[in-house]
Amino acid sequence: MLKRAVVIAVLLVFVVVVLPTQVGADWITTFTSVGIYSLVALGLGILYGRVGMISLGQVALLVVGTWTGTRLSYLTHLPFPLMLLATGAITCVVGVLIGLPALRLSGLYLALITLMAAGGVTVVLTAINFPNGGGGFTGRSVAIDLTNVPPVRRPSIAIADVAYFRYVVVVCVVMFLLALAHVATKPGRAWASIRESEPAALAAGVNITLYKMWAFALSAFMAGVAGCLLAAQVGAPSAQGFQTQDSLTLLATTLIGGIYSLWGAIVSGIFIQLVPFIFQAQWGINPNFLLIIFGVGILQVLLTAPGGLVEQVPKDLKNLARLLYKGVRKLSGGRQKT
Amino acid sequence: MHSLVGFSVFGVDWIFLRPYIVLGLALGGAYALSGVGLVVLYRATGVLNIAFGAVGAAGALIAYYLVNHTSWPHWLAYLICVLFGGAVNLLYGVVIGPAFAARDPLVKMMGTLGLALILLGLMAWRAPAGGAFVRVLILPTTNHRFELFGAIVNWTQVISLVFALVLTAGTTAFLRFTSLGTAMRALANDREISATLGVPVRRVEAMAWLGSGLICGAAGLLLADLFTSLDYAALTFLVISSLAAALIGRLRSLWVTMAGGIAVGFFQAVFSPYQNISNYRTATPFVLSIVALLYLSRHRVVTISRSAH
Amino acid sequence: MIEVESLTVRFAGVIPLDDVSVSFPGGTCGLIGPNGAGKTTFFNVLSGFVRPAAGSISAFGENLLKLADYRRARWGLRRTFQTEMAIEKLSVFDNVAMIHEHSGAKRGSRRADVLAAIDFVGLEASPKSKVGGLPARDRRLVEIARAVVGAPRVVLLDEPAAGLPDEETGLLSEVIQKIPDRFGALVILVDHDMTLVSACCQTTAVLDFGKLIASGPTAEVLRNEHVMRAYLGTEEEL
Repeated sequence: MLKRAVVIAVLLVFVVVVLPTQVGADWITTFTSVGIYSLVALGLGILYGRVGMISLGQVALLVVGTWTGTRLSYLTHLPFPLMLLATGAITCVVGVLIGLPALRLSGLYLALITLMAAGGVTVVLTAINFPNGGGGFTGRSVAIDLTNVPPVRRPSIAIADVAYFRYVVVVCVVMFLLALAHVATKPGRAWASIRESEPAALAAGVNITLYKMWAFALSAFMAGVAGCLLAAQVGAPSAQGFQTQDSLTLLATTLIGGIYSLWGAIVSGIFIQLVPFIFQAQWGINPNFLLIIFGVGILQVLLTAPGGLVEQVPKDLKNLARLLYKGVRKLSGGRQKT
Repeated sequence: MHSLVGFSVFGVDWIFLRPYIVLGLALGGAYALSGVGLVVLYRATGVLNIAFGAVGAAGALIAYYLVNHTSWPHWLAYLICVLFGGAVNLLYGVVIGPAFAARDPLVKMMGTLGLALILLGLMAWRAPAGGAFVRVLILPTTNHRFELFGAIVNWTQVISLVFALVLTAGTTAFLRFTSLGTAMRALANDREISATLGVPVRRVEAMAWLGSGLICGAAGLLLADLFTSLDYAALTFLVISSLAAALIGRLRSLWVTMAGGIAVGFFQAVFSPYQNISNYRTATPFVLSIVALLYLSRHRVVTISRSAH
Repeated sequence: MIEVESLTVRFAGVIPLDDVSVSFPGGTCGLIGPNGAGKTTFFNVLSGFVRPAAGSISAFGENLLKLADYRRARWGLRRTFQTEMAIEKLSVFDNVAMIHEHSGAKRGSRRADVLAAIDFVGLEASPKSKVGGLPARDRRLVEIARAVVGAPRVVLLDEPAAGLPDEETGLLSEVIQKIPDRFGALVILVDHDMTLVSACCQTTAVLDFGKLIASGPTAEVLRNEHVMRAYLGTEEEL
């Protein structure tokens, strides 16, 4: 436990202090996005990995968070941390509304209704588009002179890209601790029992309605915070920034990363943002072929490795080590005989 | 029917509404077609095939390539599109399908999500859509038009709607009157009991995959034409509209699915000329699906079983 | 003391429980009957998963049917299921602790109570080990520990020994017999294993096709002619 904490602390210091001095601006932007998307994946991981409820609506909640963050930035003068919290809270309400059918539906039907609800939300947000500093509820005006509109504000202590990256890392750490505080205590155990069997959870005295909604609220809160961070990173978000297949890609990468582990969320963020960046910007290869790998990855995870990479890689390494060890022993044993 | 000029529906003149009704019914036919394909496969195998749109889109892309870059006869290109749908589905159903056989429907569906991503990746990689470049696949039947109640109708649109009706009727009869159809219905009720009773489960499932795959290819071809541009991402996600149709049919009834598909296409198109709601018309399949799902879930039942992880 | 008055359950066309009146006086009570006799349905009514068409259940003076399903655990109702329901992904300690958390028992005594329950069932595996990695007998013991933690008043055991070899049932039997004295709870045991029922239960009730056909001291009930006929087949010996 202590050893693990030390490793994590060293890793964090490296990411926050050393990393930004070693890489260029485009890398920093990408790393910021990795952090943001890993928060969305974290929420999905809690829903599916911990409670067993599938939601295909998390990317839509990210869009809701981005929209709300943008609107709040133009509408209010709230300090950034409060803006984050307010965005999280508003997205939370939307998320609970999308999650309400989960009280009646499960499995396939729940996946479908969250997909459909998310689709509906996306249609509405695309139709009203993102706020650009105008008035009214939508905060959008076509007559406005876009040259004078400031971007969505960042925290005053983190205006520059590097500072903002560090800020995002800190927010991510707080969110991961929040997730940990849930899964390691009473709600986490209640979720585990719901996931195992709902009747057994009822018989154990778990208020299923409460804990399911709690999970939806927490994951939506995380998507909302991620959305607000994204709005401030982009400055002037637009509906074109989101693709229809994003929710599928998120599910794929989260499964591939590892749905049962909090670490899987970070792997997911890396797959969605960092890997395509490396292919496209560094090697000049069209990253679309990654979708093929994600597709194969989904099948692989569902059929043979439910724990995803986070569980599979250490297992494989262990097997490899054992194999090597055996091979070495065989070799040395053989030598003794001859 | 020129006497109807000046007649307006909720403030939009009948003349402006007419073409949208035609388009809506034609699109609805294609959605109905796909919806029926989804339901047939779901009933026989328990798989809700999310890759339905992607397979159709890939078939249409292949047809586009054959028409524009080879000297092959066009009819062969269209035939290959339909066969491609059947082949891909059959391959998935035979190679990967059995590995998912004992899993719950959610996991089965996520497996087809994998197939969808693979196809989407292949299409985006081999045939990237770029900037102003738009692919167009126009079926020969589209160039033959006639006038009906003052609206211009082309034969592809007629085929789409008629095909949906014929297919629904045909499939219903097939399920009821042939031994293969009876076997499929038996599988829908209980897989294990059917297997014990001597239904050749694997073979029946393979036929369901093949059949729904052929429908899938045909629907892809029709939709590529009806949508006027062959945008594979858009075509892939048209599966949402077909899903809506299937859900309205409670993943059971073919006739209700067909009606649902036509309703989805119809409303989506007919809302177009209304300025206030035009931007929201794409929400039609989502709204209808949600209503259908909420209706499905009106009874709450506690079943005592361990969840299948 | 649980008193059941003319309890009737109807599903479309089927009557799994038909006008059953029976009382469970205390200690460990058996509930037996052939497959489909309505035993599990009776447990499901007690748990609140099934709403009866008529009848009443009074447990220690409390109208049980009035309580919401998830509140019955807080009142003191515990149960196990025919299929194993211990949570594989959690440790033994967490498995038992999560029952304690929703039982309304004091938080301060949680650790001690949970360890006491694990100790009571005689589980040798470490409380920190994951339940998924335990052998079948130990997983069943974890379920019993879950059923007795946090001041239980009524413990329903639905075939706790299902799937275990005979020699392992012995230990389970000893544990079950100790529950009433140790925790002051009333135990109702459903099982097909007559050795287990005879060993544990002072009184026994017998259901057949949803009707009560006998109840009373276990030895007498098992000798009852109707029971022999209904439950054991006509002429067969025990």
